[in-house]
Amino acid sequence: MNFLEGVMIALGAIRANVLRSFLTLLGIIIGTAAIISVIAVINGLNLYVKENIANFGPGVYVITKFGIITNHEQFLDALKKNRDLTAADARAIEQNCDLAERVAVEVHTTRKVSRGANEIEEVDIGGIDPGIVDIEPYEVEEGRNVNEDENTRGAAVCFIGQDIVTNLFGTIDPIGKDMRVDGREFTVVGTAKKKGSVFGQSRDNFVKVPFGTFVRIFGSRRSVNISVKAAAGVPLEESMDQARVVLRARHHLRYADADDFGIVTAEGVNDLWENLTATIFLVAVFVVGISLVVGGIVIMNIMLVSVIERTREIGVRKAIGARERDIRLQFLVESVTLSCVGGAIGVAAALALSWLIRTYSPLPASFPLWAPLLSFGICVAIGIFFGLQPARKAARLNPIEALRTE
Amino acid sequence: MNPSASPGEKSRLIDIVDLWKTYAMGDSEVHALSGVNLQVRHGEYLAIMGPSGSGKSTLMNLIGCLDTPTRGTYVLNGRDVGKLDQDELARIRNREIGFVFQTFNLLARSSALANVELPLIYAGVPPGERHERAEEALRQVDLIDRARHRPNELSGGQRQRVAIARALVTRPSILLADEPTGNLDSKTSLEIMVLFERLHELGNTILVVTHEHDIAAHTARIVSIHDGRVDKDEAVRERMLVQRARA
Repeated sequence: MNFLEGVMIALGAIRANVLRSFLTLLGIIIGTAAIISVIAVINGLNLYVKENIANFGPGVYVITKFGIITNHEQFLDALKKNRDLTAADARAIEQNCDLAERVAVEVHTTRKVSRGANEIEEVDIGGIDPGIVDIEPYEVEEGRNVNEDENTRGAAVCFIGQDIVTNLFGTIDPIGKDMRVDGREFTVVGTAKKKGSVFGQSRDNFVKVPFGTFVRIFGSRRSVNISVKAAAGVPLEESMDQARVVLRARHHLRYADADDFGIVTAEGVNDLWENLTATIFLVAVFVVGISLVVGGIVIMNIMLVSVIERTREIGVRKAIGARERDIRLQFLVESVTLSCVGGAIGVAAALALSWLIRTYSPLPASFPLWAPLLSFGICVAIGIFFGLQPARKAARLNPIEALRTE
Repeated sequence: MNPSASPGEKSRLIDIVDLWKTYAMGDSEVHALSGVNLQVRHGEYLAIMGPSGSGKSTLMNLIGCLDTPTRGTYVLNGRDVGKLDQDELARIRNREIGFVFQTFNLLARSSALANVELPLIYAGVPPGERHERAEEALRQVDLIDRARHRPNELSGGQRQRVAIARALVTRPSILLADEPTGNLDSKTSLEIMVLFERLHELGNTILVVTHEHDIAAHTARIVSIHDGRVDKDEAVRERMLVQRARA
C-alpha cells in the first residue's frame, strides 16, 4: 500500500506541473522512443530483406561466379581468379548430383526494348531454363511462361514484367503481340504479376526469354547463375557440398585451392544482412544509451530538488512514524514512476513512429513485444539507479531540522 | 499502552530523571537541558511553558522521541526510550505519540481523510480498517463532513482539527501539542482548547507546549522551564474550563 501511495504521489507531482515533468522526462522519452524505433526499423529492414531480396524458395541455393562479396578486395580477387560458370557446369551438376532435384540456369544482360514509338532503355533481359519456374516461381498474371520446346528451338518469345506492359503496351492486352528486344522481334507469351520495388528499385522491369534463344542472340560468353533445388528431405549443406565437388572437379581445383565460384543461399544473405544490422544496432544503442543516462541524471536532479522542496513533509512523515526505509522507498518509487512514465510516453511515440514508417514507406517497421518490455526494464533500472542518492538523502534527514524548515 | 484501557489506575506514563541535552558549538558546549526531572501520569493534562531559548523545544523533541538525550533516563510507558535506534524511535513515535504542530503540517495534496490515514499506513494497518479508524478520528473532531476536502479548502481551525485527528488515530499514549494555537485567532484558539478539554475528559493524556499563559491556564498543571531546568511545577488553581465558563 505504501508502494501504491508512492506511485500516486509521483503521478500527482507529474500532474501538478505538466510542463516541468515533460521537460524532466524528455531525455527518457527520446531515449526510449529512439531505442524502440531503431529496433523497429532494423526489424523492418530484416523482414524486408528476407521477403524481398533473400526470397529463394526453401531448399534452394544459387551458384554464381562471385557469390556474396562484401568488400572491394574480395571482388578484385574473385574477378581475377573465379571462372565463368557455363550451362555445361549446370548440366554436370544435374547429372552427377543425386541430392540436386532441379537445376536451372539464368543469365542476364541489359538491353533496350521497344514497341513502335515506345521504348525503354536498360531493361534486365534474362535468359532462363524454363524449368527454373519449379525452383524460383514467377507468378503469372496472364498467358504462360516460356516452355522447353521454345528453349530448344531458340524461339523468339518472351515473358515480361508489369513495367514493360505499362510502358510498351499501355491498355492493350500484350499476349500474342510483338515487341522488340535489342532490335529483334519477340512475341509476348505471358506477363508476370506485379512485384513492386525494393529500396526504390523496380522489380517489374524485366524481360525473360528462353536460355537457348538468349545464347543464339547474345552469345554464350556470359557467366550463368545456376539455381539448384536440393532433393526433398536432404540438408541444404549436403546438397551444396555435392555440387561443390562436381564444380571443383570440372574446374580442376587442387585440394588446397579455394572455390573459384560462390554459393548464395537465402540464409547466407540473411546472415550477412543481420550481421550488418546488428552492428548498426549496437552503435545506435550506444548513442541512445547516452540519451538515457542524461535522462537519468535529469531525473536525479529533479528528485534532489523535490527532496529539498518537501523537506518539511519528510519531517512530518518521520514525526508520525515513517522509518528511514519508508521514506527511501517513497522517493525511489517516485523516481521509478517518473522514469517509467517517460518510458511509457517513449513507447507510445515509438508506436506512432513505426506506424508512420510502415504506412508511408515500404519498410514493414514493427517491434517485437520484448522491445517495450526491455525499455521498461531499462527505465526501472534508471529510476532506481538515479533515484537512490536522492532517496537516501531524504531518508537521512534529521526530523527536527526537517520540521523546522520553512 | 492505551490510557483508556486502565482508566482508574494513575500509573506513570513519563518518567524523566536528570535529563541532559548538550550540543557542541565549536569548542564550547551548550547545555540545552541540564538535569530535567519530570513525571507525568496517565490521563494528565499539562502545559510546558518557558521563554524562547529556555529549552522547552528541546524537551518536547526528547519527549516526542524525535531526539535522544545526551545523559539521563527517559522512560515512556515503562520503556527506556533514551537508547533506541532510529527505526525503534520511529515505531515509538508512530504508536505512542501523537504530534500536533503549530503550522498544522498537513500534506497539501492529500484529502483530510488521507492525512489522517497516514500514520496508520506506517503502522501497517490494512486499508479497510485504516479507513474506518480515520473516519472515527475525524468524527471525534467533528470534521467527518470535510473528509474529502483538501487542506487548502479548510479554515485554519479546521486544519488544526484534522491534525489533531491525525495525532489521535493511532490511539497514542500522549498527545504532544507544540504551540497548537500559535497560528490561530483567539476565537479559533478557544475552539481548539475546547476540543483538548473534551479529549482529556475522554481519558487522553495531553501535553501542550506554549508560551501563552492564557492557553496554559486551560490545563491542570504547568511546568515552567528556565535555562534548561524545571523552574516551577505546579497545579493550576483557577483552571479555565471553557465549556463550564460558556455554560
